[in-house]
Amino acid sequence: MTTNIGQLARVTKPLPKQTKERRTWLWSLLIGLAILAAIATVPAYGNAALLHTWTWIVMVIVLAQSWNFIGGYTGYAAFGNVAFFGIGSYSVGLLVLAGLPFWVGLIVGGIIAGVFALLIGLPVLRLKGHYFAIATLGTAEALREFVEVKDIGGGGGGLMSLPLPGLNAYTIVFYAFISLSVICLFITAVLVRSKFGYALIAIRENEQAAEALGIHTYWYKVGAFVLSAVPTALAGGLYAYWATGFDPGTVFDRSISVEIVLLTFLGGTGTILGPIIGGILFETASFQFQTSGLSLHNTLLGFSIIVVTIILPQGLIRLLQEFTRKSAPDLTAVNRFMEGLQRVRRYITANGI
Amino acid sequence: MAFGQVLVNWLLLGSLYAAVALGFSLVWGIMNIVNLAHGAFIVVGAYIAFWMYTQLSIDPYMGIPLTMAALFLIGWLVQYVVINRVIRAPLLVTFLLTFGLDLLITDLVQQIFSSNRRSINTTYAADGFDIGSTHIAFDSLIAAGIAILLTAALSYFLARTRTGNAILATGMDQDAARLMGINISRTYALTFGIGAALAGAAGAMFAELRQFKPPDEGTFTLHAFVIVVLGGLGTPWGAIAGGLAFGFAETIIPLFPGVGSGYDDAITFAVLVAVLVFRPNGLLGKAFYS
Repeated sequence: MTTNIGQLARVTKPLPKQTKERRTWLWSLLIGLAILAAIATVPAYGNAALLHTWTWIVMVIVLAQSWNFIGGYTGYAAFGNVAFFGIGSYSVGLLVLAGLPFWVGLIVGGIIAGVFALLIGLPVLRLKGHYFAIATLGTAEALREFVEVKDIGGGGGGLMSLPLPGLNAYTIVFYAFISLSVICLFITAVLVRSKFGYALIAIRENEQAAEALGIHTYWYKVGAFVLSAVPTALAGGLYAYWATGFDPGTVFDRSISVEIVLLTFLGGTGTILGPIIGGILFETASFQFQTSGLSLHNTLLGFSIIVVTIILPQGLIRLLQEFTRKSAPDLTAVNRFMEGLQRVRRYITANGI
Repeated sequence: MAFGQVLVNWLLLGSLYAAVALGFSLVWGIMNIVNLAHGAFIVVGAYIAFWMYTQLSIDPYMGIPLTMAALFLIGWLVQYVVINRVIRAPLLVTFLLTFGLDLLITDLVQQIFSSNRRSINTTYAADGFDIGSTHIAFDSLIAAGIAILLTAALSYFLARTRTGNAILATGMDQDAARLMGINISRTYALTFGIGAALAGAAGAMFAELRQFKPPDEGTFTLHAFVIVVLGGLGTPWGAIAGGLAFGFAETIIPLFPGVGSGYDDAITFAVLVAVLVFRPNGLLGKAFYS
């Protein structure tokens, strides 16, 4: 009985104001925009190599942002997003080779990837957990194999070359990636405050409870899957144009699928800023490693995965939240800072390191 | 192709696939971890057999105990040092972690042995005997025998020994097992070690029978997953059933007109989705671990 009374008392208390909670999305959006705006200044002072690096980073950020819709918010471990990337690349590549303008291929690629996600999602999203993860992984591998065996686009499974874009094109592609990332940022920010987004988060937290509340979980999942596929395909199309070529081994490379999951993890899954922060940190580290002359990309990737999943299973954003959490009001700034550090340290050691 | 030959090919291939999936099934059933590094362990096993054959002239089949011992050690260490730290974490974390291990191990193998395609040519590789028009190769037959032997041994170990019972108990209810005085981390390390050792045995057999290269690991893992899904989790014999079912699909489907060879992964994936949609608990029924 005492617990009941306690619960009653808690209910009758006035609810605490949630203004801070409510504005988190706005701050995240503004910080995200600021980061992307800062990156957008690269062509003004950087050389070609720097532009190349940052184009790649922004592309990976876009991929991670779109994975976040299905993996971060819906909580479904999609490990085959590279399939959509490849579809986008091949659509642009084949249509440009057929003489059509680039943007037609881009749109067609987005549409095909969306339809493909719908058709694949219908059976695959009936699966849960490990089964879903492997099924998506299998889709991507099967698609790569199909493209290789059928020799789509010719070239014997080798590299198909596209006409070289003009000199300005690299800057244009860079800004196209930036715009795509900004669009994804806005979609994410709108998502977390929309009915659709709430439904996805409810599915992540407890799918049965969501179903019991009358959410048509199946269709929301399919929606999230398609939403995740389309920007990925657009990025893939831009990639084919940018890299002036495409081959099954590159655009269906499953380590791309894994890399975008990893860096979303590093930043924080199911957060607005997670993919951006994780993407910048991981990719700059990766580039530093590459320029130092070692060809151990997968070793680095594997090792980072192991470290990140053990130390930071909830990402850097969660660490930041732990650091800035409200502490006792009468502390001085220095003490508050030290207490934040203490909390972060405790949070990391909680996982047994 | 004659009917008898197809039948023999199917049985031999099915048993080999059972060996591929055996350790994977054990780890998944007991620890609820889909070990994506399983294929990498198989590749490591194949390269250990290759190394022993070329450097020490040890026959791959004779060397299986050594290969298994080496892989047991690797698996035990990986579990004790790395995976035990995230054992209670959500699915995505363990999934990602084992993927990381997979990339790391495969890349290291590639650095050491290069990415060239390798094979072992033993003196008896071409030998065999004929029953009517049906040819049976010795090395495939030995591999099938070893696979069935390993399955029987694992089954006996789990059902009849104290340690095996401890492993099963941990898989059924971790907390109850702890209350009975079982050391969970050590049991998990043992389970993972055995899983890796079985992968090593499968790798040694593959080294004898097929060509192999480090990037094959993804296909091995995918195959193991599908076989376990087909056979159902929890019993070693499920791996044999799944292996035979999967071997059947791989032997028969390319014989259909208009399909042809080269679609291994596509067939695997199609079989997987079909089974998951129609029989979510696998062919042999019950799911051991919900």
